Amino acid sequence: MKFLRAAVAEVIGLFVGDWAQTAVSIGILGIGWFVLSRVHVNGIAFVIGIALAVQIVYATTFEARQRSGRS
Amino acid sequence: MYSQLLTFGAAFLGSAVESVEALTIVLAVGLTRGWRSPLYGAAVALVLLAVLVLIFGQLIVTRVPELTLKLIIGTLIVLFGLRWLHKAILRSAGIIAMHDENKSYEDTLKELSGSPLRQDWVAFTIALKGVFLEGMEVVFIVVAVGGTSGSGGLPTAVAGGLLAMLVIAVVGVVVRRPLAQVPENTLKYAVGVILASIGTFWAAEGMGAVWPLDLVSVLGLAAIYFGASRVAVMMIGRRSPVMA
Repeated sequence: MKFLRAAVAEVIGLFVGDWAQTAVSIGILGIGWFVLSRVHVNGIAFVIGIALAVQIVYATTFEARQRSGRS
Repeated sequence: MYSQLLTFGAAFLGSAVESVEALTIVLAVGLTRGWRSPLYGAAVALVLLAVLVLIFGQLIVTRVPELTLKLIIGTLIVLFGLRWLHKAILRSAGIIAMHDENKSYEDTLKELSGSPLRQDWVAFTIALKGVFLEGMEVVFIVVAVGGTSGSGGLPTAVAGGLLAMLVIAVVGVVVRRPLAQVPENTLKYAVGVILASIGTFWAAEGMGAVWPLDLVSVLGLAAIYFGASRVAVMMIGRRSPVMA
């Protein structure tokens, strides 16, 4: 049972470190899908990559601030 | 050809990193308790992982329509890749500790010393658990990257994963100590960037996007993610120069 629980936690942990950050990433992809279905410009999908990249810069600097504040 | 190379590379690198971690556990158990039980444990774990690859690989390749597959698996690869990249950024900036195989080795030894009875069973379980849990990430990378990269993708990804495991196992048998010299964090950083890029590419294709120059766009996405990660490391370093 303990092993199964560890395996389930491991599977969820593959994709989710912080639920808020995961929700933001999925939100960006959702908005991207909405925009892509309406705007047909070559290369516009790069905006999704840029938005996700900005998100990771924000999330990591935010976590670093929090950890530094705690120590 | 380019697609197969990307698939092979991602599976190889991802599998290599996790194999190093699994090897550390098996080495720690084998060198202290004898090799028979941990090798059985590792073998059972590898069989279980192979079954998972077969089941999910076949399901994905044969049952799910291509665009749906790209959207769902692409999204999961993005989340997976961003998670690795997130940790790699924090490690590069000195906010969290680098993964240390020597420390993992010592931790496993401590775990073993606390359970004096039924040694073989303990050794078997620790090796099985270690290899299986570390291998889950390999299974995901192989199935996701292989399943979405068209015909021949899954065998290519399996080959990449198996070759990495074989190389690490052979090196482990030769040196008989944890592979602390392997630049694990750099590898994870690279795999994080590659997977986030491939995931974004496929997820957008699943949404109906057409990329300029097709797969070459993955390089552009990789440049965006790598650039962003360096900016993050720099910003964190400026705020906490002592830690970085």
